[in-house]
Amino acid sequence: MLEKRIVENTLNAALKTGANFAELFVENTRKSNISMINGKVDKALSGIDYGAGLRIFHGNNAVYVYTNDTSEKNMLNMARQASEAIDGQAGSFCNRFNKSDIHNIHSIKIMPDTVSKKQIVDILRSASDSAFQFDRLITQTGSSYIHKIQNILIANSEGLWAEDQRVRTRFSIEAIASSNTEKQSGRFSPGGHLGYELFDQIDVNKISRQAALSAITMLNAVQCPSGKMPVVIDNGFGGVIFHEACGHGLEATSVAKNASVFAGRMGERIASDIVTAIDDGTICNGWGSENIDDEGTPSQKNVLIKDGILKSYLIDKLNAQKMNMKCTGSSRRESYRFAPTSRMTNTYIASGKSTPKEIISATEYGLYAKQMGGGSVDTATGAFNFAVLEGYLIKNGKIAEPVRGATLIGKGSDVLMKIDMVGNNLERAQGMCGSISGSIPTDVGQPMIRVSEMTVGGRG
Amino acid sequence: METNRFQLELMKLASEEGFEDSEIYYAGGKSFEALIFEGEIAHYENSISSGVSFRGIFEGKMGYSYSEQIEMECIPFLVKEAKENAQIMENDEKEPLFEGEKSYSQIEGYHEALCNVTVLDQINAAKQMELSAKEYAEEIKTVNYCLTAYQEGEIAITNTKGLSVRFRDNYQTAYISAIAQMDDDIKTGSEFFAGTKFESFLPKKIGKAAAEKAVMYLGAKSIQSSIYSIVLSNLSAASLLSTFSVIFFGDNVQKGFSLLSNKLDSQIGSNILTIRDDGLLKDGMASIPFDSEGVGTQNKAVVENGILKTFLYNLKSAVKENKSSTGNGFKTSFQSSVQTACTNFYIQKGSKSLDDLFEKMGEGLYITELSGLHAGTNTVSGDFSLLAEGFWIEDGKIKYPIEQITVAGNFYTLLEQIYDIGNDLRFQLPGGSGVFGSPALLIEKMAVSGL
Repeated sequence: MLEKRIVENTLNAALKTGANFAELFVENTRKSNISMINGKVDKALSGIDYGAGLRIFHGNNAVYVYTNDTSEKNMLNMARQASEAIDGQAGSFCNRFNKSDIHNIHSIKIMPDTVSKKQIVDILRSASDSAFQFDRLITQTGSSYIHKIQNILIANSEGLWAEDQRVRTRFSIEAIASSNTEKQSGRFSPGGHLGYELFDQIDVNKISRQAALSAITMLNAVQCPSGKMPVVIDNGFGGVIFHEACGHGLEATSVAKNASVFAGRMGERIASDIVTAIDDGTICNGWGSENIDDEGTPSQKNVLIKDGILKSYLIDKLNAQKMNMKCTGSSRRESYRFAPTSRMTNTYIASGKSTPKEIISATEYGLYAKQMGGGSVDTATGAFNFAVLEGYLIKNGKIAEPVRGATLIGKGSDVLMKIDMVGNNLERAQGMCGSISGSIPTDVGQPMIRVSEMTVGGRG
Repeated sequence: METNRFQLELMKLASEEGFEDSEIYYAGGKSFEALIFEGEIAHYENSISSGVSFRGIFEGKMGYSYSEQIEMECIPFLVKEAKENAQIMENDEKEPLFEGEKSYSQIEGYHEALCNVTVLDQINAAKQMELSAKEYAEEIKTVNYCLTAYQEGEIAITNTKGLSVRFRDNYQTAYISAIAQMDDDIKTGSEFFAGTKFESFLPKKIGKAAAEKAVMYLGAKSIQSSIYSIVLSNLSAASLLSTFSVIFFGDNVQKGFSLLSNKLDSQIGSNILTIRDDGLLKDGMASIPFDSEGVGTQNKAVVENGILKTFLYNLKSAVKENKSSTGNGFKTSFQSSVQTACTNFYIQKGSKSLDDLFEKMGEGLYITELSGLHAGTNTVSGDFSLLAEGFWIEDGKIKYPIEQITVAGNFYTLLEQIYDIGNDLRFQLPGGSGVFGSPALLIEKMAVSGL
């Protein structure tokens, strides 16, 4: 993507004032995005993201520069600017690259840019029709499609030269149900590190009917009662709870600064003993998967918590150096506009022993959170919040009336200890995770779990 | 790459390929940021970037494409994609290109003095900010973010209808977050600066303010679930306003995503409530003489004394109702199509100080932080249920800090329940589209869940 000579000269110019490491990331990405409102194409956009980011380390500190003018003149100018942020003696130079053989574990069957836009439009329309036809209460739909083909080159002063291609495709449907005074929505957004074959793997019409059902159920729901109660969180997107409440606190970004409740607790019990949690960037065609991370380290399967004991953090190169620990293949970034840092890939709580039926019937009274919305967390304190998109009360061990407007709040460290049942129905769901290195695709996941007590916020 | 030649070639090919009219939107800029950790520059970042967005009318429909690579070789891709995108468009709404205003308001966007601030001055300021937070109290364990940043940008729009506009601006921001700890209790406090004059950036004051907040939250407890009177702090009110600002967008009303349709010229809020969208606000962080379609921006009341005066329109949504654009057609970046967005969008200040509001409330909650706005809100129904932090107020005075509660309500109802308005109007950090501001608001009652 960039001539070897320019890469070499840029890295060497960057190392001139004593940096101990220099790395260049070049990206050429083609994106296409089509969205439909009420069965009509409302937006269609496509384009090229292109640029290079240069990062150097000086001890444990980093300098990052980026540009989309990759002419040799400008690249050398950027390298000089970066090196001027450091004052030291000339460091080691690099003059030989070892081309990495990248083992591609995510085969792409149909490149999405070879499919006509009309074909995509037909799929989106069919999704919208399915939602509308499901019930007369469905008054609006939004369906959308996105693909992204990212070509990357990573070269560094240790001699790494790695090139890879990442292809991601995603579909989304939102159905809105209305009564005279209310509107409620249901939404699903499946996707993967794959091409157009996504549509062979999912049933767009079935998913759209599910979104419609969820919206209608919530339209008839009463306001959720508030207070402390047992909460059963369903599988799939329910895993967002672990992602927010715990995953972010295990990222070296906050651990290295001692700004996480999980810092310094390796080997200690941080969750109840039925909890095992994993971050796996190698899942075949997984939405958050990639062959190599954005520093060129091969992706790994990292066991974060084993039977309640903290086993691993998520660590990037710079923080590995600071923490004196190994990289975990977890360094990610949205694009060349961001310096990479430790992030999640596909993160989930592993399956346990209970069946979903056992979990519900063991709960006298509580909240059943069937569909979770998004949330956020303050990693320093672990305080989190999540929205419940589709919720029900549990009464006498049975799922009772639907409730809406519920929010779950708590502290990650408390909740992990209070997980008292883990189901056997692990499922993953796709999301976009925003943090300091931008917005990146990640999977969340879990089987159905029960938290013995949680604060539920609602208006009922 | 010569931008002029690129533009000419692009428009030429577009015309040859059958585009009736076309437009090129260029955005470029520079940025600098430094992150200080324990007195050292932990992260230092510089950037120079630019991109073009192309759009044109093909067979009566608008097609978009963009590229960050401004090279001749990308021109065929831009034209081909824009054409294909136009061909699949199905909404019958006309999206016109604009020929330009006769004249535009003058706005001082670019501040020479700010551009001349040295990197060393920037870094020293950030180091002072970190130090003053750390020295504030022994409970301050660490400063987890201490950032100083400078940004400048340029936008130029040219089209075949004769529009040709250009605007440059620059600004400075700084942000700090401090962590306080007492035994097992950990709290964070943050503060920021955003402005166009480096002299107004007072690092010691900001550092101290962040630390002070973190320490004040120590020892916080939850409270009994109930209905309470509430004072929303200026920034927490601004964040709610930001999330729900979309209900005032003309296109959302047309698509049925807002419950304000048919409410024009009727009372939708308390009669002391005035909300303005002012694209020309002096020193406003979102001030700009024209929007992304080249339409001049305005200073207008969206809600005045509780009466809904106007929605926010771009050219497309305005045409639909036979109205004029209000100058709110913006692209969030050159990668996006024209949407509706706010400029400087704020609740006009009242006369009461924060203490006056506490006194008027007597007993209740002072909410200073709201989290999870992207998740715990439903912009269609107006419902929200959000994690909150703040203080318990008794006899008009702050008694103790509160945590682990949620406040729940409905934005439409909240507008009606604004009982009084403070005089402490403050804007949020700029970012994304629009900048939002509010003074503190006294709200009659809100559902709070805690213990």
